[in-house]
Amino acid sequence: MLRLKLALLNVLRNGRRSFITLLAIQFGVISLILMGGFFASMYEGMREGVIRSQLGHIQIYQKGFNQFGNQEPEKYLIDAEVLQQVTGQIEALEQVELVTPRLNLTGLLTDGSKSLAVVVEGIDPEKEALLSSAVKLTAGEDLFEEDIDGALIGDGLFKSLNLEVGASLTLMATTADGSFDARDITATGAISTGTREVDNRFMRINLKHAQELMYTQGVTRLVVLLKETQDTDAVMAQLNRAFKEQGLALELRSWSDLADYYHEVVNLFDGIFSIVQLIVLAIVLLGIVNTMVMAVMERTPEIGTIRAIGGTRGEVMKLFISEAFILGLIGSVLGVVFAVLLAQGITGAGIMMPTPPGSSQTYPIRIFTDADLLWKNGLFGLLIAVISSIYPAVKASRMVIIQALRFA
Amino acid sequence: MAVVELQAISRSFELGNTRVTALDKLDLTLEKGEFVVLRGVSGSGKSTLLNLIGAMDAPDAGEVFIHGQALSSLSDKQKSQLRSRYIGFIFQAFNLIPVLTALENVQYPLSLQKVPDREAKARAAKALAQVGLADFVDRRPNQLSGGQMQRVAIARALVTNPDIILADEPTANLDSETSKQIMDLLGSLNRETGVTFLFATHHDFVLSRASRVLELKDGHIVKDEQAHNLTLVENSPGEKLG
Repeated sequence: MLRLKLALLNVLRNGRRSFITLLAIQFGVISLILMGGFFASMYEGMREGVIRSQLGHIQIYQKGFNQFGNQEPEKYLIDAEVLQQVTGQIEALEQVELVTPRLNLTGLLTDGSKSLAVVVEGIDPEKEALLSSAVKLTAGEDLFEEDIDGALIGDGLFKSLNLEVGASLTLMATTADGSFDARDITATGAISTGTREVDNRFMRINLKHAQELMYTQGVTRLVVLLKETQDTDAVMAQLNRAFKEQGLALELRSWSDLADYYHEVVNLFDGIFSIVQLIVLAIVLLGIVNTMVMAVMERTPEIGTIRAIGGTRGEVMKLFISEAFILGLIGSVLGVVFAVLLAQGITGAGIMMPTPPGSSQTYPIRIFTDADLLWKNGLFGLLIAVISSIYPAVKASRMVIIQALRFA
Repeated sequence: MAVVELQAISRSFELGNTRVTALDKLDLTLEKGEFVVLRGVSGSGKSTLLNLIGAMDAPDAGEVFIHGQALSSLSDKQKSQLRSRYIGFIFQAFNLIPVLTALENVQYPLSLQKVPDREAKARAAKALAQVGLADFVDRRPNQLSGGQMQRVAIARALVTNPDIILADEPTANLDSETSKQIMDLLGSLNRETGVTFLFATHHDFVLSRASRVLELKDGHIVKDEQAHNLTLVENSPGEKLG
């Protein structure tokens, strides 16, 4: 108890030095929490963005689609009977919010003077409106079931064709039997998925219209939206089991399997975060080592005395490490508290970030302060403080007693 | 058994390009209860001798035995434990820990021995009472006079019930009146507790209180005199009276 008290009194002994050390620890903890919280919010925003604008949580295809579907998509469609059977089955699951079919095709969109290759998605407008909540309408009106020939045109595509709402266009595509057909369509509005690349080539039409164009009753995929993203794996496993038992030739992909861009961005930012962590670690570590070494130098005769009256090297090390532990604990707790307050302040201020590369939408800065992030970085601060004290503590413990006693 | 035994101890130091011999093949035995004064001019090897006996330095040749235990056979940790158990130190500059109170300073060596807090506190308070500081337990070193600080240091040296207390110029930083009081205190503690005292000093008034006087010169003991009066320890078995 007395030894712990001595460590505490030593921390209080040089208030200014301890204050500087505490600032260094807090700086480290606050920077890492704010940065980690910002990245976490970005990851979540991106993840939910891709899920709710394009991917859904789970996509179901005819077996073989992912391997051969690119070359011959018309051969890997889910037929109408299976579609009906599994839709009801999936909708019955309590974790599922909705299931919607999509028919994908590539075609040529022309306004009479200019033609552009497009990626077309035939959708159920009502269900898709619920699933694609992250798809923003930038002009005109949404698509409805009764708009048989209506189309939502990707924002970039809409602009590159200089379209206006209500413009008449012609969409040409290869049918399921390999022939070629065309349909007139009307631009009811322009949409932004949040990804510029997609918006430059993408359009949506009514599923029935797309099926007519392709001469099919089938769909390319069923998109499942769950209530919670965290249930994805569990529902995937459940559906896989059910399809196998029923002998259905279907395959499933999760949003994570399909979101390559998301994973690339996460990996990139995780790498940046690791480098920042190292820089912060170095700054904090050097700051603490410096102040601890000064403390050791100042207290050299005291260290000699402790050793002379029976203190072991381990005892001296424990004393300095305890002091660092106390500083680390206080610094980390204060760091976490200030980081939470700052995070709330910054999030509440609603500061908008510029449009990120590849994206077509701005977004507000949000900083998440999950318990996991807080305790991990709080612990990080504490560990840095303790690790920083090891060198000074060893230095103190290795002092030659008689030289330490003579030191003035 | 002798408390301390030195056999053919030699110790020298590098000083620039030359090697200075501080102690040269020195033999010495200290028995329980002796009150030994170590005299000699500056550089005669007094502090070196105390450091060697205190297991804080190692000889170039020869062997130091504390309680029959050869120090050369001990690890650093074992030497620390030996200092904690058998040896008390009193320093010229008192060397109290400034952030601790008088009581805590005295309690600290017991805390290093892992003595339970309550017992350590009681023993520390008793030691402070022995040196006349019962009313000063809560004072910090900067609230005490030089004499009081040295009394706290004496209590700290005594509290572990050591076999020997080593004091390096314990009165050098004190005025003559306080020095005499401190020496009287050490003398009476020697009589009461039977603990062996070895202190280096250049104050002549100390001689009248010593039971044995050693004089060092050029690394040798040139004089080893037993006193017949004053601070003789009653019932001390190893007393060497001339």
